[in-house]
Amino acid sequence: MPLMPPPATPRLPRPREGRRRFGGLFAALVALALPAFAIADTAAVVTDHARPGFAAFATAAEALAAVDSCAPDDLRPAFQAAWDAWTGVAHLSLGPAEDGGRGLAVLFWPDPKGAGWKAQRALLAAGPADLTPETMAGLSVAARGLPALERLLYPAEPLAADPCPLIRATARDMARTAQDLARDWQGFGDLLLSAGQPGNTRFLSPAEATQALFTQLVSGLESLADRRIGRPLGSFDKPRPDLAEARAAGRSQRNILLSLIALRDLAQKLSPDSPQTLAAFDRAIALAETLHDPDLSGIAQPAGRLKLDILQQAVRATRDSAIAEIGPALGVGLGFNALDGD
Amino acid sequence: MRRRAFLATLAAALTPRLTWADVGSPVFLAAGKRDEDHFLHGLSAAGESLFRIPLPARGHAAAAHPTLAEAVAFARRPGTFALVIDCATGAVRHRLTPPDGMQFNGHGAYSGDGSLLMTSEVVAETSEGRIGLWDTARYTRLTDWPSHGIGPHEIRRLSDGRLAVANGGIRTDPVDRRKLNLPDMRPNLALLSEDGALLDRIDLPDLRQNSIRHLALSGDSIAFAMQWEGDPSEPVPQLGLWTPGSPPRLCPPPEAEAFAMQGYAGSVAATRDRILVTSPRGGALMLFDAKGRHIATHHRADLCGAASTQGTFTVTDGSGAVWTAEDRGLSPLSRADTRWDNHLVALG
Repeated sequence: MPLMPPPATPRLPRPREGRRRFGGLFAALVALALPAFAIADTAAVVTDHARPGFAAFATAAEALAAVDSCAPDDLRPAFQAAWDAWTGVAHLSLGPAEDGGRGLAVLFWPDPKGAGWKAQRALLAAGPADLTPETMAGLSVAARGLPALERLLYPAEPLAADPCPLIRATARDMARTAQDLARDWQGFGDLLLSAGQPGNTRFLSPAEATQALFTQLVSGLESLADRRIGRPLGSFDKPRPDLAEARAAGRSQRNILLSLIALRDLAQKLSPDSPQTLAAFDRAIALAETLHDPDLSGIAQPAGRLKLDILQQAVRATRDSAIAEIGPALGVGLGFNALDGD
Repeated sequence: MRRRAFLATLAAALTPRLTWADVGSPVFLAAGKRDEDHFLHGLSAAGESLFRIPLPARGHAAAAHPTLAEAVAFARRPGTFALVIDCATGAVRHRLTPPDGMQFNGHGAYSGDGSLLMTSEVVAETSEGRIGLWDTARYTRLTDWPSHGIGPHEIRRLSDGRLAVANGGIRTDPVDRRKLNLPDMRPNLALLSEDGALLDRIDLPDLRQNSIRHLALSGDSIAFAMQWEGDPSEPVPQLGLWTPGSPPRLCPPPEAEAFAMQGYAGSVAATRDRILVTSPRGGALMLFDAKGRHIATHHRADLCGAASTQGTFTVTDGSGAVWTAEDRGLSPLSRADTRWDNHLVALG
């Protein structure tokens, strides 16, 4: 959900600097006169969160593509590591990941109509001749990336044909996408860092870059609560563990946990002085750690479902804290038109 | 009526009605918010504000008189008032109130000669759609017609006088806008004759939760933009094209961009060979050719207002920027401390 800055307000130096330079009384008077927005640490997000995160995913995806075996047991550790790495950056959907749907090509989930498996079955039936990198890049995004590999490495039923060529092609394709993402975050990061400077038409002011990153934090938490947790949670009468993400790979709980850790890191880098939000994150992380339900099968039982329900509430409370605490601190609010609905 | 108010009204009535040229020939109207205040602005082609007129509350869309410097500003849904504004003086010439039990629904359209104003309305209790008809000489209510659907939103007059009505299909709570019928909503696009008779109507049997809400004219076709109320994980198109007499055609984007709009279109505009749809939720706009083939997607937070003039698209966002949108990208035209509201209305 896009967010927007409030009407322009004269910006102050960081309050701490103000105090140091002018003494307490002056700073207090200034603080009374004007709302003092903390300056978001866009640089920390770009250089210590986003770029290293995408670089780590590129490394992990390359390591998976380099495994010289098609035995699932040989591939699974590298596959799990690649999914771990993706979860560190999956919430950064703006910029390189939205160009050409590359984020979807890494993780197309949910896939309620099973489009990915349909396309993969056709590829398996057609044989290896068609599996060039170009073919893979032109495939439905539903048939690419992590869930596509999961279906081949943790098949629900015995595969009708040798999956080896498709596994290799899919892993190679994902490694290429990962490399493109890491490369493009150099330039995109520069745009975030040069927000408001002449020639930067992507971000017309530093506040817009802040707003964009704050948006990623809030929408990441919403997506976690509504989809990754919300879809399997279903209703009280009808929990849907079968809809959990990465169930076959046994990492549904892990994805929730790692998402929270990644989003906490984003929040902390963006606005380090956010005690309420970080405490809300810590509570949600503790709940996610103690689910003891790797593929969420346990939610079929009321006690298990209740634990996930409580976790969902904790994630939503974290979102609310971020909006209430980080938004005003950085001088950004929720989107004027995006929230209006019409 | 108190004496002063009476004299003010008399003065307003006696003021000559000026044309758009008299107010600096604005090209667009847009509502916006600055600090806590709401205004209706006239914008130049370069996106600069030529005048601004205070509004009592958040505006939604406006309809511009074809010749006189006069516009109707509609409140957000559910609207209990619309203001006829003299764009030369800023005076509110008339305050329109729907009949008892009715609400304005955000949009309106003038007849070609400006003698009539049509307003999209609902019966508050049921969201049954009506088209209100007003005589613009003194903005008196003439009658209303059925809109032939639930929850009409945007209405567009075709050049031959027929009226296209986007019946969004959503029954809403008359007070808090809560949506009441999402599981069995059934939007439609209706075409009315100049005197309000139903000429044709289409719906989308396979996409009944795709609310048809905004309209633009593209040659002989009506471009309609939709908002998805179903499972957000289902990729659905936000744009359709209907040439009356033929079945509607849906215009899906490429699969990799199927979620770029987050199922939500905020505005639609058309030039001779392009159609543009904005999504404030997705922070994106998409360009299609006149046959509905996807051409490009551009990203920008909170984009919503969109209009075309002389073959060029102009879009506005909630951060105060006005942009030109072309196939190759967005170029900034102007930036102000006004958060531009949902719609940009082209004059003329």
